[in-house]
Amino acid sequence: MNASLPVPATITTIRPLTDDTTLYTLDCGLNTQNNGVASFLPGQFLELSLPGIGEVPISYCGFPSAGGAIELCIRHVGHVTTPLNRSVAGDAVGVRGPFGHGFPLDSYENQDLLLIAGGLGMAPLRSLLLALLNQRQRWGELTLLYGAREQGALLFLEELLQLAKRNDIQVQLAVDRLEHCLEGPPNCRVALLPALLEQLTIRPDRTCAALCGPPVVYPYLVSGLKRIGLPDERIHLSLERRMKCGVGRCGHCAVGTFLCCCDGPVFNYAQLAGIEGALA
Amino acid sequence: MPAHFLATKALEKLLSLLRKQGELHAPQRGDDGVLRFALLKAGDSPDLDALRTQLPPKKYLLHPRETILTYRAGSGYQEPQGRSSPLILFGVHPCDLAGIDYLDRLFLGDAPDPTYAARRAALTLIGLSCFPDNLCSCHLHPSTLKASCDLYLQRQEEGFVITSGSLQGTELLEKLKEIIEERDLPIPEDTRRFFGRQLPPPSQSELDAAMPDWQELANHCLGCGACSICCPTCACFDVLEFGGLDGSSSERLRCWDNCLFKSHAEVAGGMSFQKNRAERFRYRYRHKYRGFGQLKNIPSCVGCGRCRAACPAGLDLRTLAERLERGNP
Amino acid sequence: MKPLRLAIAGLTACSGCQLSLLNCEQELPQMLERIEFHFFPMACSPAILEGEYDATLVEGCLSMPHELDLLLALRQHSRYLIAVGTCAAWGGVAALRNGENREELRQSVYGSSTATSGSFSPQPLHAMVAVDAFICGCPPEKEELLNLIGDLLRGALPSPISHPVCSDCQMRENLCLLTERSALCLGPLTLGGCGARCPSLEVPCEGCRGPVPEANLSEALELYLQKGYDHAAVLGRLRRFCPEWKS
Repeated sequence: MNASLPVPATITTIRPLTDDTTLYTLDCGLNTQNNGVASFLPGQFLELSLPGIGEVPISYCGFPSAGGAIELCIRHVGHVTTPLNRSVAGDAVGVRGPFGHGFPLDSYENQDLLLIAGGLGMAPLRSLLLALLNQRQRWGELTLLYGAREQGALLFLEELLQLAKRNDIQVQLAVDRLEHCLEGPPNCRVALLPALLEQLTIRPDRTCAALCGPPVVYPYLVSGLKRIGLPDERIHLSLERRMKCGVGRCGHCAVGTFLCCCDGPVFNYAQLAGIEGALA
Repeated sequence: MPAHFLATKALEKLLSLLRKQGELHAPQRGDDGVLRFALLKAGDSPDLDALRTQLPPKKYLLHPRETILTYRAGSGYQEPQGRSSPLILFGVHPCDLAGIDYLDRLFLGDAPDPTYAARRAALTLIGLSCFPDNLCSCHLHPSTLKASCDLYLQRQEEGFVITSGSLQGTELLEKLKEIIEERDLPIPEDTRRFFGRQLPPPSQSELDAAMPDWQELANHCLGCGACSICCPTCACFDVLEFGGLDGSSSERLRCWDNCLFKSHAEVAGGMSFQKNRAERFRYRYRHKYRGFGQLKNIPSCVGCGRCRAACPAGLDLRTLAERLERGNP
Repeated sequence: MKPLRLAIAGLTACSGCQLSLLNCEQELPQMLERIEFHFFPMACSPAILEGEYDATLVEGCLSMPHELDLLLALRQHSRYLIAVGTCAAWGGVAALRNGENREELRQSVYGSSTATSGSFSPQPLHAMVAVDAFICGCPPEKEELLNLIGDLLRGALPSPISHPVCSDCQMRENLCLLTERSALCLGPLTLGGCGARCPSLEVPCEGCRGPVPEANLSEALELYLQKGYDHAAVLGRLRRFCPEWKS
């Protein structure tokens, strides 16, 4: 099998989430014929091909076991993702994956879980969140902290507000600024993520944190988590790099001696501590 | 045990035998004075004294720019058709053989790369011993890489001791019976290894801490990328896609890339994880000494001296090694 | 697929970049199937500026008030505006004598004619308007122009180049004119993508594609100095195509 060869997929639905971010559903065909691209773990990524333009690494965003169909939450900022915005349902794309290590679900058994997402980082964490909720009884307390620039940039807002009504998960949203509205949605404060973190009470010996956000926020979140007593091994972060090939060859995604595409993109902080430039 | 000896005057016969196996390439000096591996036409002689060709043999296994996929509406992405025809490289020195071993580990490991695998399978390697000059450092850098080849020619006065390193090599030896003499010569213990003393590799902390002057070194770097291009083990590649004018078909290309270029670790939106020349420069050194991913802890400098020869500013890995040695006697 | 509405304009330049596109004779029929050239004064008449454009390609630099008017109008009505050629991207040869007295230069060429009155020191496009992408070269490579069209047909912009000419040259296993012949070759400082067209013919790189990102000018100057060239000669060579080079 040629790991560089994408299998065909079709865009089935397109749902704009914010001004610059869209949720796509792709039909990847039968699981027997798509090289397993739809069988993934939360935190893993795939390479999405837009014919004629190129390929881009994208985190899986949806529920892992939805056979053949995958959800991808994509911000239109790059060489491939900008023209992707012109796509319509029925368009052909290519996909290959899954690649890398996702979040270590098995080690989360009976643990309290603290998910912290910033901006587009909600995309891979939504996949984790859906997986956790699907087997809710396996884990302890669930908390989601999610911050974005402004209310209009909060992804999956309605979905998250619905979740917030459940009593088996705590959802806290934050925006950097209120922009045009006088007050934000319920459960939403004007604050930065590290500030939300400071007000949390957690049980450090039985909590794992799963982080995904822009690199700039990681140092603050990690030091915040360490301050409330979380050991490095219990802090899991998803890193962004230029993962071109996905199979450890092209050399663009090194983090110290790790390759983000094979050893990551989800690392625990004990792996990354001491690696210069690992976080930002 | 007597050694297989090939007299220099019988070399042409070996070359014609090799030509029967496929296209024969060997080091030759061009009119411009550049040494290159190139097609060795019948009647032409390889440059037996050539120490380092400008590009290593990796150019045969990974073309600088090549189509890896085509896209057509309806049929989707497809691998290009076409087979690799047999290629024989004559006169490959141990450093370059070790370089090929590194590329093999990278491209033939998990999920082998089909383009590379096909070319590698069609490649016959005829090694040739050499003597290091002042740019070589194969004797300074320890390596777990193996300089394997199908036939190895150890130069002697008036000829070569030939040893086989593969089944194919043994078959070739059979066919050479008529021109090979059995001479009572010491067979080199292991002709295909690096020679000289082995130094331990610099430790991680040495690479980081003993070098506070990365910025100073990087200041001299022109960022031209010559060191990576001519390196037998540098194999970073970029993948580009070009859409046809019909609006639907396209070609996906794999091109040699370079960690010294600004775009190397850039992600969408322009953020880069190697922000400046100093970071990229150090990244290259770290990669050479430590490796990463599945080739972690495999130093990949084979000591061929090309980067030093090619660098307009005279920088190379050995400068670093020398500084490390000075700092840690 | 909706046809691509394209405008192609030439400002102060030799028209060579537009000509390079027109020289793609084999590909032109195919382009015409997908592209509506609505404003392309060099090739199509009448040239009327109207409606919105998916993309505008502009050759040349700005040196006349009417060129600025045209550029602003094109910018206003184009989704993408692309600087094509080194003049549009960096000023190019027309900007060679920027910094000298403009009026004296004008009179030395045109005498008392008023045809060029109002002209100003040639500027690259980005001095006045936002530019979405740059295709460098004097002229750009045919392949780059065709790839640009291929990208635009799909709503994409070309990926920027970040490698120098040296890289192209080394990949072709050329003799290094800088190290082996001590030639004043501008390869290390110049944007690649030309396949090292000149050095491959043993002609030193003239720098016609403008600066590579993060060019290490000070170290290169040092090196040229060691090889016997003075700063003024090197900078003069560099500024032939890009007046923005400063020591």
